Amino acid sequence: MRNLLDFLIKYHHWFVFILLEVASGVLLFQYNSYHNSVWLSSANAAVGTINQWESGVFSYFSLSKVNEQLAERNMYLERQVSQLRRLYGDLTKDTTELQRKELAFLSQYQLIPAKVVDNTVHKTDNLMTIDKGRADGVEADMGVACGNGIVGVVYLVSDHYSVVIPALNASSSRISCAIRGRGYFGYLHWYGGDPSVAYVEDVPRHAKFKLGEYVETSGFSSIFPSGVLVGKIEQVYNSSDGLSYKLKVRLSTDFSCVRDVCVISDKSIAERAALMQAARDSINVKQK
Amino acid sequence: MALELLNRLAMFLALFVAQVLILNHVHLFDVATPLLYVYFAITFRRNFPKWMMLVGCFLLGILVDIFSSTPGLAAGCMALVAFAQPYLVERLASRDSAVDMEVSLKSIGIGKFIFLSGVITFFYCLLFFAIEAFSFFDWLVWLERAFTSAVLTWILLMAIESVRSK
Repeated sequence: MRNLLDFLIKYHHWFVFILLEVASGVLLFQYNSYHNSVWLSSANAAVGTINQWESGVFSYFSLSKVNEQLAERNMYLERQVSQLRRLYGDLTKDTTELQRKELAFLSQYQLIPAKVVDNTVHKTDNLMTIDKGRADGVEADMGVACGNGIVGVVYLVSDHYSVVIPALNASSSRISCAIRGRGYFGYLHWYGGDPSVAYVEDVPRHAKFKLGEYVETSGFSSIFPSGVLVGKIEQVYNSSDGLSYKLKVRLSTDFSCVRDVCVISDKSIAERAALMQAARDSINVKQK
Repeated sequence: MALELLNRLAMFLALFVAQVLILNHVHLFDVATPLLYVYFAITFRRNFPKWMMLVGCFLLGILVDIFSSTPGLAAGCMALVAFAQPYLVERLASRDSAVDMEVSLKSIGIGKFIFLSGVITFFYCLLFFAIEAFSFFDWLVWLERAFTSAVLTWILLMAIESVRSK
């Protein structure tokens, strides 16, 4: 105690100094508005920093609980996303979504847009009339497609109209198709009856595919480029001679209400086909 | 001691009046303001009771502040200078100097007095204008004001001291 008193007596001026400085500080920050405002903002910043540090420390310790909550929420959201995706797929598949994709695919080629002015689906040999003709650049044997997929082939052309043989023509329509992603090809044929069902014939027996896969044009003709949608495989049958498969295809194009079509007028398809034909002819001649 | 206190009181009042009535209105080139009252802190003798020095300087500072509308500014700076002055004097005092040596031109010599007064004045002005601005954004302006005010204060201080010493 005596030592403490001695210490206090020896260094008493320190305490007086500190006291006076504190008093000056109080006066300075209390009665000078500028210093007061600077002090307040600095104090706020300092307090804010300390609070932030404190909350950082506390939040670190509660991380495991937050982690659990996040994992639960994640699972719930993932479930919801997959449900919504399924619902969306059910509502939009083979309609708008497919249409947009098909139109985007077709837009890489030269197209002549047209409207269907006459159409039949109940006959065995149906025909379709569109409102574009020679004057618009349409020629015979040009392919016709729509946003949902394949429509048919131009048969007759006048100045302003054209007659199209649709896929729903039992005697004249034979479009070369292939299974998307697999490459196995055959020919699309319609036998009448249901206007939404056709058959792809001559698919080899060693072909590997699944039900539900898409069928598209093969590109082996001068009429359609490869990749134009035809339909979806619904059933598989053996051919009459048992040497190949016959695929029952649900056509993607609804021929009963097709209105807006486009005529594929890309010359490169015809040029390619002509070159292939010339090569075949020359090989045949050499063999003879 | 009583006489000494009276002398100190007289200096206190003289410096206070001079500062408040005359020197506070001097702004040379819009930057230099003489802060002559720091002379009060410089001239305390060696081994003067430190608490008295502190209180005296603090009171002088407070009075100047009241008339300058800057409560706490001069008071805080004067208290700091009063705290530092004894240590500086001890450094400058020779071994054979008296225990209650006066701090003046005659007693410690011109060189040491110039050094002591220069250091304290300059340090005081730096501190004063730093706290007044409370920001180092315009540090050049701060240095300019501190330096010019210190020079002016020191010139006045030396003039008074030379008259006192005769």
